[in-house]
Amino acid sequence: MSYLLTLIIFTPLFSAIILGLIQAQTRLLRAGAIVSSLITLCLTLLVLYHFDPAGGMQMVTFLPWIESSGMHYYVGVDALSLVILLLITILMPPLYLYMFKERRKGYWYNMMLLQTGVTGAVLSLDLVLFYLFWETMLLPIFIMIGKYGNGMRQYNAMKIVLMTILGSMTMLFSILYIGYVYFETYGHWSFALSDLTTLQFNAETSIWLSAGFLFAFVIKIPLVGFHTWMAPAYGSAPTPAVVILSAIMAKLGIYGIWRFGYGLFENTLTYYAPTIILLALIGLLYYAIRAITEENLRKMFAYSSGSHLSLIALGLFLENQYAWSGSLYFIATHALASAGIFFMIGLTYKHFKTVHISELGGIAQQAPLFTFFFAFFALSIAGLPGTGGFVAELLIIIGAFKYSIYVGVFSALSVLSAMIYIFWMLQRTLFGAPNEECPSYQDLNKRELLIVVPLVILLLITGLAPSLFTPLFEPYVQETLQLITTAVGVHP
Amino acid sequence: MMQDILLALPMAIIVLGAFVLMILGQSKKLPLEKLSHVSLLFLLLSLLIQLFTINSYAPHFLFAEIFKESFIVDKFAAIFDIMFTVGAGLTLLINNDYFKSRNYFSGEYFALLLFSVFGMMMLSHAHELISIFIALEIASLSVYTLVGYHKDNHLSSEAMMKYMILGALTGAFFLLGIALIYALVGSTSLTDIAQYVEAHNIQELSLVLVGGSFIMVSILFKIGAVPFHAWIIDVYHGAPYPITMFIASTFKIAIFAIALRLYLVDFASVNSFWNEMLQAITIITLFGGSWLALSQKQVKRMLAASSIVHSGYLLIGISSIGFGSDLAAAAVMFYLIAYFLSAAGAFGILSFIASRSSKQMTYDDFKGFAQRRPYMALMMTIFMLSLAGFPSTIGFLGKFYIFTSAIESGQILLAGLGIFTAFVSVYYYFKLVAMMYFYPSTTPQKVFPLNVSTVIIAMMALIIVWGGIGTSLVPYIPGADGFINIAVDAIKSLH
Repeated sequence: MSYLLTLIIFTPLFSAIILGLIQAQTRLLRAGAIVSSLITLCLTLLVLYHFDPAGGMQMVTFLPWIESSGMHYYVGVDALSLVILLLITILMPPLYLYMFKERRKGYWYNMMLLQTGVTGAVLSLDLVLFYLFWETMLLPIFIMIGKYGNGMRQYNAMKIVLMTILGSMTMLFSILYIGYVYFETYGHWSFALSDLTTLQFNAETSIWLSAGFLFAFVIKIPLVGFHTWMAPAYGSAPTPAVVILSAIMAKLGIYGIWRFGYGLFENTLTYYAPTIILLALIGLLYYAIRAITEENLRKMFAYSSGSHLSLIALGLFLENQYAWSGSLYFIATHALASAGIFFMIGLTYKHFKTVHISELGGIAQQAPLFTFFFAFFALSIAGLPGTGGFVAELLIIIGAFKYSIYVGVFSALSVLSAMIYIFWMLQRTLFGAPNEECPSYQDLNKRELLIVVPLVILLLITGLAPSLFTPLFEPYVQETLQLITTAVGVHP
Repeated sequence: MMQDILLALPMAIIVLGAFVLMILGQSKKLPLEKLSHVSLLFLLLSLLIQLFTINSYAPHFLFAEIFKESFIVDKFAAIFDIMFTVGAGLTLLINNDYFKSRNYFSGEYFALLLFSVFGMMMLSHAHELISIFIALEIASLSVYTLVGYHKDNHLSSEAMMKYMILGALTGAFFLLGIALIYALVGSTSLTDIAQYVEAHNIQELSLVLVGGSFIMVSILFKIGAVPFHAWIIDVYHGAPYPITMFIASTFKIAIFAIALRLYLVDFASVNSFWNEMLQAITIITLFGGSWLALSQKQVKRMLAASSIVHSGYLLIGISSIGFGSDLAAAAVMFYLIAYFLSAAGAFGILSFIASRSSKQMTYDDFKGFAQRRPYMALMMTIFMLSLAGFPSTIGFLGKFYIFTSAIESGQILLAGLGIFTAFVSVYYYFKLVAMMYFYPSTTPQKVFPLNVSTVIIAMMALIIVWGGIGTSLVPYIPGADGFINIAVDAIKSLH
């Protein structure tokens, strides 16, 4: 079974290479990309079918890569990575469907490379391999924002690359140091996560090393204070890139803390927890306020995305079972909802040629289907009961109350602030008098329905029947929490 | 004796080729292309013999009865020889179009190139200070002439004068260093010096230390370490593109060959004396180089400035050797291979473009390049990524080993600074990528010219990627492991 993961990682890359070598025309390129995304989806469903929730890390491939330096091709899947893997593969076909009419070939190639990058980052368990994918997934984003974006695209592309690479560099330093400590302890090199977890660092080293990792991840999320790249990048990026940025790449920051942070430095992260929780709480409110004042839909939902990712980070650092289940669940549901809303914003631009709230209005009268889906996704972002986001937010808030009553009250109130900008935005865009400047109102066509309907269905299922999904990751959450609490020696 | 002749043959072939070309160069009838073929033939012949003999000998002195301990043959030198011949070969092949597009080239160009390769090969084999000096001057004099080859261009002449005068000055330092060492040790053979240094404690060695410092100054000048860097940008800028490529990739490596040999063998037991000095120079080289590279507008000058930064990374490795890192020497060796490939490729593309236009090639001139020449832009991107140390290229592994060795030797600060400069370098390398991809082109897409230059450049791009991700799992093709083994073998043969 283990070859499945390798296939999932490299199918898009090899499709891209083959299509590039035969210099495929746009139609063939499109077909190839869609087929490769469907293949990876099927393979992922196969992985899901064979997945044993209580089995820990499974379908492991462990091969020497660069033997003399202890780098391995080491991939495997557990509940945490499976959730994100599912998200990636589920979102890829709608993305391709969205850009169906796209004639610029580079676009398609970049998307395929991007898929390999994010999938590889989620599945790799060797630090150097992870670093490789973590960096390479940045390249397609760089090109897509800079080449196909809008506004100050060149500047914003450079900004996102430099800021994320600054984070990666501190992570690289930590990786090198950890690898060297392993070499010093055992006399041979290894960067495999399962080997490195056996290391014990003294408190001071551990604080510095985990800071290296955390810096990379909080920039990617981004927590407040590390976020200056976010709104410009979201604003400039083309819709498919925004969807990947918000639905997948931001989640990879959370994933990195979860996998590598808690994997290597469980005690030290507890030391950082109050700081991060504070940052996350500030972020929740700050991003919400920025979203309220924002007039550009893309940027508004960039801030909204930042606010919700702060909530996920908050849940992660609360370190109790409700919060962790909630965070993991929120990763999935927020990805679906934010993918949906960014699709809708993309369609808004396609249909109405603007994403500025002041230039929109009265869509409801002319385009009922559009209005329905737009409102649905916006409300599920806000945590409408019945959608998955509600369940997840509830779990995190319960976890927050368990941690401390103040954190609980504050986060509950901040979550409500999402209602303000969502409803106000809906009122100004969908309802009211039609804006004179809008040239034409078209409703969704069949292809566009095909993009959004699956997402709606998934969001409803996750919201109405969370018990279908919780068994998938409950054992994982319990087990890892157990490890942390025994290591730290406090009651959960 | 027979074996020695075989082992000396690669060098002999090169110098013979140089003389042959000098004579052929006088002929008015032979076109330059023919001369280029002849020099390639000599290089190829030499390379074949080197590859054939590389695994077949133990380290020993060449013609010991005649030259005593002047020249050594070992795997370390052999691997550098291969790099020099390949470097010169690539310079000729990639610039096939360039010297046809400029009318100032003549037959001596090829002879001088081979003379400098001969000098470098001698340098990597030399095991005695006077021979080192002679070899260095043979290589340098040829390179000075080549730098000023475009006689009518004042930039080229200025570069030559600048390089030669400063180079001669540091050559004098080198000689002074030799004299001081000779005054104390009574011999210029590296073996004798190493023994003498080993046998005495550091208080009695002040003349050797001062002499060693003088030699170090002249080496630091040649690799362009700050504060001896003043010449580098103007020289790289003024020289014709093929020569810039040759200095940046091949000549620089030759200097490191001798630096490593001196540092690892000759002064091995006292090299900790220079630790603090080297650290300080490394830090200002990293910062100074980055500062210069950030402020350049022309791509050629940016690459020249960034080559200072790369010298800085290599100095991190050398300073780690002084602090007792076991990995550092091999790391430096590997970085040299990585840098050689990436720099040769990047300059190769520049000269390819220059052979088709006479623009100065500022960043702005690259706007829309990806649309005009998508494949060339892709390769340029690969070279830039490798120079920036982006993972999945060989440049990343090079930096990886250098920084690891710095951490191993306890120079956390230096490793951190190295990583920080690598971050800064992302800016000026990615800026070129951004220029190529993010702006529309004013002219339509051009056909990919399938000729020797472009095929070679494409192959180098492939090697760079394969050197970064290649695994030993694929049978028959050595991956990144292969490059590492080469580096480790070479260093082992020194001891």
